[in-house]
Amino acid sequence: MIKKVLKVKDNDVISSTNEFLKHLLASGKIQALLVPQSTPSKKVVYPVLITDQRKLHTDIFAPVLPVATATVISKITKVQPPSKPIGVVLRACQIRALIELVKLNQASLTNIVIIGVDCPGTFPINIYAEFPEKKTPTQFLLETMLKKSNDADQYLRSACKVCKDPVPTNADIVLGLFGADIEKELIIEAHSEIGKELLKDMTLEDEKEGKAREKAVKDTREEKDKKRAVFLKEKEGAKGIEKVAEFFDKCVNCHNCRQACPICYCKECLFDSAVFDAEAYKFVRRAENKGLFKLPSDALLFQLGRMNHMILSCVECGLCEQACPNAIPLMEVFIPAAENAQKEFTYHPGKDKTEKVPMIVYREDEFLEVGEK
Amino acid sequence: MSDEKKDHKKEDFEPKIVGFLCNWCSYAGADLAGTSRIQYPPNVRIIRVMCSGSVDSMYILRALLEGADGVFVGGCHPGDCHYIDGNYKARRRMVLLENILGTLGLEKERVWLRWISASEGQKFADTMREMTESIRKLGPNPIAKHWNV
Repeated sequence: MIKKVLKVKDNDVISSTNEFLKHLLASGKIQALLVPQSTPSKKVVYPVLITDQRKLHTDIFAPVLPVATATVISKITKVQPPSKPIGVVLRACQIRALIELVKLNQASLTNIVIIGVDCPGTFPINIYAEFPEKKTPTQFLLETMLKKSNDADQYLRSACKVCKDPVPTNADIVLGLFGADIEKELIIEAHSEIGKELLKDMTLEDEKEGKAREKAVKDTREEKDKKRAVFLKEKEGAKGIEKVAEFFDKCVNCHNCRQACPICYCKECLFDSAVFDAEAYKFVRRAENKGLFKLPSDALLFQLGRMNHMILSCVECGLCEQACPNAIPLMEVFIPAAENAQKEFTYHPGKDKTEKVPMIVYREDEFLEVGEK
Repeated sequence: MSDEKKDHKKEDFEPKIVGFLCNWCSYAGADLAGTSRIQYPPNVRIIRVMCSGSVDSMYILRALLEGADGVFVGGCHPGDCHYIDGNYKARRRMVLLENILGTLGLEKERVWLRWISASEGQKFADTMREMTESIRKLGPNPIAKHWNV
């Protein structure tokens, strides 16, 4: 690993990162950059694919995640991966999601250079768009980081509050906020050959104090782990069909959560298929079964079925919850479910791209008690 | 089933079990039980599938949510799968489903996976008896009372 420092000019970390990324693009070693960029209204940022460095006005620290960036990269690379490198700026959860999509043959890392960004968390889209503080959301977040205060916590999405790891892994280059004095500098690490190659011609300084970053990363992870443990303990209680049915009562079967989920990649979801179309007499028969029959049908089956299909790869980005029109706090169920299921299979989604997803492999000598008396 | 019927005592409650049996082993095992005139409780409604590995958790969940008192999945013994490894995959899927049901506090005891070969007519009958009695003890599936699922 190579560790460098990007000097921040005029206390403006955003424009300094812009300069850095412009240089990267201008070097000609990458043909395009996928970065989050504000729309003219400044109400939201979207991933944009940029080839002209003059058009680059990114805000890579903007604390909002309107869509799954991993899904966007799947779109770009699935049919045919790029022939020259494309740099993609991603948060930790989206790198995890991208790795899972690669394992599921839905995306390619060929000529994709992952530029990971430390993530102090993101706000719900509407809070980001109509931010109640006097500063922009990015300024507010960076300032609270500098002050080491937790003022931003009140605005964080619930998934971000209990993030399993806000520090990018599997990135070629990491832009580090944690452990950096962001008024003066940003930490830049190269974790791969291509990452080192890209940093070679950049005007960066060598890092002096080696330990600040490690300590900050460790502290951040420990703090998140603690919050996560508390969350998991609190949410243990919602059990039994009564509570589960109540929890999903507001589900109107719109399937927005599935649409927003980076892991749900099926071209045609079973729940949108003709499987659930039936003759009138079958609906009447199902009504006769319990005496009455709720429509639209199978909302809980959708939730539990979707959970069965994606939970082992769940990266806990919380986009399902953000997409829910009725504000069902999905993370309260999905995080404990993911935690338990992934533990059962000793599987860490997004950790290792050579690892196979659990449902396509097996060992003959495992789970021997299942299937026997 | 009307509410009246559901509220009856546990002893005279007849569990409804949906059974997914693989074409090559368990279904043939059930067939052998029948042709050998081995008696077993008629509580299981058999659905023949090509392989236990083809039973998506969705089918099991659907049966449970519609009020089935138990769901049985039967496959070839490990190593004997007609499709080489379908039953190993079924086993993993069952582990995942049970894990999720456990997290949500839903009764995973209502879902059974067993290996029954084509020659094990007696084992099929015994397993059906065992499962019927076990589910009878558990009582009716509480989900059957909830129409809002």
